[in-house]
Amino acid sequence: MPSRRQFVAAIGGLAAAQLLPALASAQPDPFAPLIASFTGGAPVRQGRVTLDIPSLADNGHAVPLLIKVESVMSAADHVRRITLLSEKNPRPVIATFHLGPRNGRAQIATRVRLNGAQRLMAIAQLSDGTFWSGSAEVVVTTTACLDDS
Amino acid sequence: MNKTIRDQATNLSRRRFIIGSAAAAGGGLALGFKVPSGIGTAAAQTVANGAAEVNVWVVVKPDETCVIRIARSEMGQGTLTGLAQLVAEELECDWKNVTTESPTPGQNHARKRAWGDMSTGGSRGIRGSQDYVRKGGAAARMMLVQAAADLWQVPAGEVGVANGVITHAGSGRSTTFGKVAGAAAKLTAPDPKSIQLKDPKDWKIAGKAVKRLDTADKLNGEKIYAIDLKLPGMLHAAIKACPVFGGKLVSFDEAKIAGRPGVRRAVKVDDSAVAVVADTWWRAKSGLEALPIVWDEGPNASQSSALIAEHLKQGLTANDAFAGRQEGDALKAIEGAAKKIEAVYSTPFLAHATMEPMNCTVRITADKAEVWVPTQNGEASLAALSNASGLPLDKCEVYKHDLGGGFGRRGGTQDYVHQGVAIAKQFPGVPVKLVWSREEDQAHDFYRPISQCRLVAGLAADGKLVGLHARVSGQSINAYLNPAAIKDGKDVRQLQGYAKDPGDAQLGYTVPNLLIEYAMRNTHVPVGPWRGVNTNQNAVYMECFMDEVARAAGTDPLEFRRALMQGHPKHLGVLNAAAAKAGWGTPLPAGVHRGLAQFMGYGSYSAAVAEVSVGNKGEVKVHRIVIAIDCGHAVNPGQIAAQVEGSVAYGLSATFYGEVTVEKGRMTELNFHTYQILRLASMPKVETVIVPTHDFWGGVGEPTISVVAPSVLNAIHAATGKPVRSLPLKNQGFTVV
Repeated sequence: MPSRRQFVAAIGGLAAAQLLPALASAQPDPFAPLIASFTGGAPVRQGRVTLDIPSLADNGHAVPLLIKVESVMSAADHVRRITLLSEKNPRPVIATFHLGPRNGRAQIATRVRLNGAQRLMAIAQLSDGTFWSGSAEVVVTTTACLDDS
Repeated sequence: MNKTIRDQATNLSRRRFIIGSAAAAGGGLALGFKVPSGIGTAAAQTVANGAAEVNVWVVVKPDETCVIRIARSEMGQGTLTGLAQLVAEELECDWKNVTTESPTPGQNHARKRAWGDMSTGGSRGIRGSQDYVRKGGAAARMMLVQAAADLWQVPAGEVGVANGVITHAGSGRSTTFGKVAGAAAKLTAPDPKSIQLKDPKDWKIAGKAVKRLDTADKLNGEKIYAIDLKLPGMLHAAIKACPVFGGKLVSFDEAKIAGRPGVRRAVKVDDSAVAVVADTWWRAKSGLEALPIVWDEGPNASQSSALIAEHLKQGLTANDAFAGRQEGDALKAIEGAAKKIEAVYSTPFLAHATMEPMNCTVRITADKAEVWVPTQNGEASLAALSNASGLPLDKCEVYKHDLGGGFGRRGGTQDYVHQGVAIAKQFPGVPVKLVWSREEDQAHDFYRPISQCRLVAGLAADGKLVGLHARVSGQSINAYLNPAAIKDGKDVRQLQGYAKDPGDAQLGYTVPNLLIEYAMRNTHVPVGPWRGVNTNQNAVYMECFMDEVARAAGTDPLEFRRALMQGHPKHLGVLNAAAAKAGWGTPLPAGVHRGLAQFMGYGSYSAAVAEVSVGNKGEVKVHRIVIAIDCGHAVNPGQIAAQVEGSVAYGLSATFYGEVTVEKGRMTELNFHTYQILRLASMPKVETVIVPTHDFWGGVGEPTISVVAPSVLNAIHAATGKPVRSLPLKNQGFTVV
């Protein structure tokens, strides 16, 4: 069975622009419950968080990624926590990082295991209590011969 | 057909064109065709010589040639022809005018994956892409028709199309695809929702056993496999990794081989491998053999097959197994049964042994990385190239070559691409061809995982199966290749073929009390997918044991199975078809015995009946195998039969000979004298029965291997009166004749 992603990608040659938003809005957001447990229900604004990850990875063993949050990292204004969420991993909360002004920069470079092609989201909580998010798509190529069982 | 073959040869001679242009222009290799970047096809897409890209799947030339783009890899399985048939069917072109070409992974990346997933495995080539390639063909047809209708200023609904000819009955006008393709390419693509695909009942090209499009140059020797590739100024590399898995490279003495003719350098590849680079491969290989190398073999050097077998055996009764299926109370039902049957089965590590060993050619310059590679997954090769070279994806390109055998080896990992890049980086601007020796290929495969299975069944006094308990203990592919897919050791893929729910690999039996467990027992040996993957081992366990239980119940194995399969009509359908074709129950020549098996994998249903005789000294002759398959829709029955025959050859090789064993932490069967394959004279007559039910899309490349071994083992059981519970047969006192 072609996944939604394959279908969207392939039909892209025909009419991706019209198709994508319709499909996307029809799907429940897999991140919603994870976000709620991180934020306690507080609103999350898009922006200030950059998630840098290669768009294509040959396997999901150790995919390099970089999370950056715009912040002066002062005692009065800094990033308190960053959580990294996976759409497809059996453990969807990949990591939560705790930061403070002594970190100097709100920037994390690491490698993560990923279970297939998916969207990742990073959410940062600032010292003023506000939440900011950034996301990125990564295609982890499929291992041969594994079926859908 | 001659024209098609010529076109095909011209198209595939692209590789010679690449070589030629490299000689002429030095760098900056041109590809056989250029595609514009960006999604969408609204703008005119003139490819070359007036050819028009109607959409990403279809290019039409003024001479009426329809070039169909194929994103999946061809390794002999015939997906190229089958996918072309599906597109051509919807396109309504003349099959005689069809030729194919492959978009490169770099083009796919540049056009935002316009061709979708390029991964070729899991028997997904047809079933995974049939929907969007058929829609691509249909959309192209609609645009060609619309272009003609616009030209004639008539409604598109009044325009007919067949065999690449567009007609308007009302005015008697007609034109051809080649004449309107340029105008069609300028039209807006139809809304995907408006595309009506044909009912397979009305197929004219798909569903037919048309000849393969890629045969001629394989027969006449024109085909350039990656291992044959020659580029100007190319150097050759031979590689050796630490023979013990997990061991490290400590040092090598390059000075000792410095004076050898043609040898350029010995280079470190990574933490565990060294390569010698020379002007010919033989000089590289002999230089490597003469190179003093110091390895740190590490703690795995004490590992052996005997230790691994003990490790797995412990898993058969350990408490850490997870239950993949638990219905009723199997343990209690078996305990209270009138008769209890128990058996332990085992299957070994297997190598893929592709005829063409692992290889790739890599060229790295300051701003471009290129690899010529036989790959089951061009996008994975692209990602590996980018990752290993440090260059971004848009500076990388992969030139896919048809594979000289894949079987999962060239799709599970891109180890040889990483190595090729690591070597070529040390020779900037120079193409370096890395070819593994056969010994390296056998020593550093990603092997079919080893496993054992303990099965216990309970029979009621009337011979009915009341409980079944199966415990698989063995290595997990996911744990090695995709660890993020496993949570708490629950790896259902190792129970492939035993699933409850319909899907890719459902167990075909209904048992009132059923317990199916998996105990993960990993080893230091790398494992990966091997054509059919875990269906092969799991079918041996389930189907051979089912014969043992039927025998204990005093029931014919076919009748015993039928009674358990009433809730699984498709499984039963193929079993009945195989039994009918083989004449199950009818008399056989003296000394010939039958065995049967059925199993499901990759969305398709398979069953086999083998006819076997066994001599006094264990000489096994397989006379005939009948295999029935229900793959839903049968796109090319001729290719399905060819795949079934190939699966018998591959499956029988594994049944009789297949085994790699571990001593001192390394593999011992390093060439074909110890890792044998079936000879032509031992190949049985294969009869394929295709029984498509036309209501789903199943795979073809892998499913039928699973029934080969158990049908033969059950026939041997019938012949000798003794079950065979461990593979390969060469270790059980049998020879093949």
